Amino acid sequence: MVSATIDNREISVPEGTTILEAAQKAGIDIPTLCHHKRLPPIGSCNMCIVEINGNTKPVNSCNSPVEEGMKVATDTKALHEQRVVNLKKILKHHALDCPICDKAGECDLQDVVYRLGVTDAPFEPRENPRIAEYSTSLIRYWPERCILCQRCVTACNAIKGIGAIDIKSDGDDGQIVVVDADKCKSCGECLFVCPTGALTENLSRYKGRPWLENRVETTCTYCGCGCQLQLKVMDNRVIGVTTDVDRGVNQGSLCVKGRFGYEFIGDENRLTTPLIKENGEFREASWDEALDLTAQKFSSIKEESGPDSIAGLTSAKCTNEENYLFQKFMRAVIGTNNVDHCARL
Amino acid sequence: MAEGKTITLNMGPHHPATHGVLRVEVELDGEIIVKATPYIGYLHRGIEKLAESKNYQQAIPLSDRLDYASASANNMGYCTAVEKLMGIEVPKRAQYLRVIMAELARIMGHHLWIGTHALDIGAMTVIFYAFRDREMIMDINEEIAGYRLTPTFFRIGGVAADTTPDFIKKVREFVKWFPKALQGYHTLLTENKIWTTRTMGIGPISAKDAINAGLTGPSLRGSGVAYDIRKAFPYSSYDDFDFKIPVGEKGDVYDRYLVRMEEFAQSIKIIDQAIENLPEGPVAIDSPWITNPDLVSVQTDISELARRFVLHTKGPVGPDKEVYHAVEGAKGELGFYLVGDGTEHPFRMKVRSPCFYLASALPRLLVGHMIADAIAIIGSIDVVLGEIDR
Repeated sequence: MVSATIDNREISVPEGTTILEAAQKAGIDIPTLCHHKRLPPIGSCNMCIVEINGNTKPVNSCNSPVEEGMKVATDTKALHEQRVVNLKKILKHHALDCPICDKAGECDLQDVVYRLGVTDAPFEPRENPRIAEYSTSLIRYWPERCILCQRCVTACNAIKGIGAIDIKSDGDDGQIVVVDADKCKSCGECLFVCPTGALTENLSRYKGRPWLENRVETTCTYCGCGCQLQLKVMDNRVIGVTTDVDRGVNQGSLCVKGRFGYEFIGDENRLTTPLIKENGEFREASWDEALDLTAQKFSSIKEESGPDSIAGLTSAKCTNEENYLFQKFMRAVIGTNNVDHCARL
Repeated sequence: MAEGKTITLNMGPHHPATHGVLRVEVELDGEIIVKATPYIGYLHRGIEKLAESKNYQQAIPLSDRLDYASASANNMGYCTAVEKLMGIEVPKRAQYLRVIMAELARIMGHHLWIGTHALDIGAMTVIFYAFRDREMIMDINEEIAGYRLTPTFFRIGGVAADTTPDFIKKVREFVKWFPKALQGYHTLLTENKIWTTRTMGIGPISAKDAINAGLTGPSLRGSGVAYDIRKAFPYSSYDDFDFKIPVGEKGDVYDRYLVRMEEFAQSIKIIDQAIENLPEGPVAIDSPWITNPDLVSVQTDISELARRFVLHTKGPVGPDKEVYHAVEGAKGELGFYLVGDGTEHPFRMKVRSPCFYLASALPRLLVGHMIADAIAIIGSIDVVLGEIDR
């Protein structure tokens, strides 16, 4: 353990803790843009600067560890002014997109602008506008909203270990580019950590705004992993999926299906009752009727052609327990070993 | 009726002369009231609870609906309390405009009082004159704020807009006209034999009792206590203006009447000084954490656009502390106790409503009087149920 003082508060933290983490633990909120709980320190936004031992040259608190006896100041006038200067640099070419941006209302950049009380940061168009090189059918990149914090790149490397995207850095003209398009699985990890609206879903654009949504906690139905989801619901329709970094086995991560495969929920082609085919035409039926018919047909097929004329195919959407019950049913009730599984969705 | 047997009578909540939905259960021995119990709660809208889920700006219209007869005076209470919480100093011009609006609201509240009070005890003419003049204030409200009864003209850190030439003109017209109208009210009532007989010596309360009952405002001053928060703890530049605090002697219905009549005149005096000495300058503070960026700059400046979004979707953030701030509303000490928790919403808002204390004093005011005098007494304390039930 090392002891230090942050804003005149005595703290004691394990060795190797960064100043930012120690301050957050002590309830001191240092503004950040590129720091994310799940990611290693990036240190690109220069918002979390602090003064150590009265030294006027500020350092990034997100990647400096606490040292014994250190005296840290997180909110001095000089620091505030430096933060405003740094933020104005970020804002210089930021598109005036809030009114049409999906992220507006839960945007880290907006919150930091309000918190620091920044005024007078007029928009200057870029001489060479950025081109959206990176996008998939599910993820859209808005180059003029990007603040080059590198959270997405870090998430792709550090959480997923894929490395599909990188920053092409050329001063002001830096932007996200695709390193290897084939590697990208559209998992949306980059989109989840993006502090602004630079990476958005292609699906739920313009469907709703954060302050109009209800968030409903649920579990993903795709596979047996049981990832925790938060469905964004507006007017009784699911308009998006997000997660909470503190919850469940997934801790904020999702795969492409969990994150983007929600449109089937409200699809009008979904079956709502069992259908029975009679004379080549489907008609709606009750569950009792449908199950009775199925049981009757199984029995008659088994009697006529033997149990091995029936095969069962189950789904990865079911839990292990459900799959076990299914094979038990096929083996013990039907009496066949013809059981298989789609093994993937 | 048999000797010693009392009957119980319900006055309200739908009695034409009980002012709103106040219900008083009176026990009568013949025509004499031996016991009176006010029942409240018929107009409960959960305003205090509602304020906890609204941000600081959004709760301003709720305060209008406390004492809706003098809405701007409640705005004054709420906004100054939030500004005390946030440590905001409002520009001088905004302070003067607020004083004008609050004093107009006080006159509006007193108009409703004199009209209905006189109507209740048989003087029907007064309400027509009172509402004729009240209409002029409604027009002023409409001119500057768009709304007539509940203008919601105040904002955290100032007022919603600057004056218009028509506003100044209309206020000056009203200031010029109203003393004549007030003389008319006096002619109708002050020396009217029926009026004095119905009000003199009715429902007296001593200064000591009034203080013990927590009475404030004109009802306290009617008993001879010169306590007015505008003088005792000046806020919003009230110390700039020259005005007197009228007081009564006996604390009966007639004295409370005289105090309010004089308050009409004093309020007009304040408005006159404020409108003639209206300072130049901004009408709201310019703080990036509170003021809305204007609609022109949000089209060219990302920081203004982002702040506008935060201010509208979340609201201004208040500090983690608690304050109590009281102003002189039309009915008395209107206090707001706010507990901030470092978010956009107050953790708790408690309203110290003067009318609640006035209604609580009814048992001791009514007992011993005739049932007909109950109407005069309820009218004289001037309660508005929107403020009692909240």
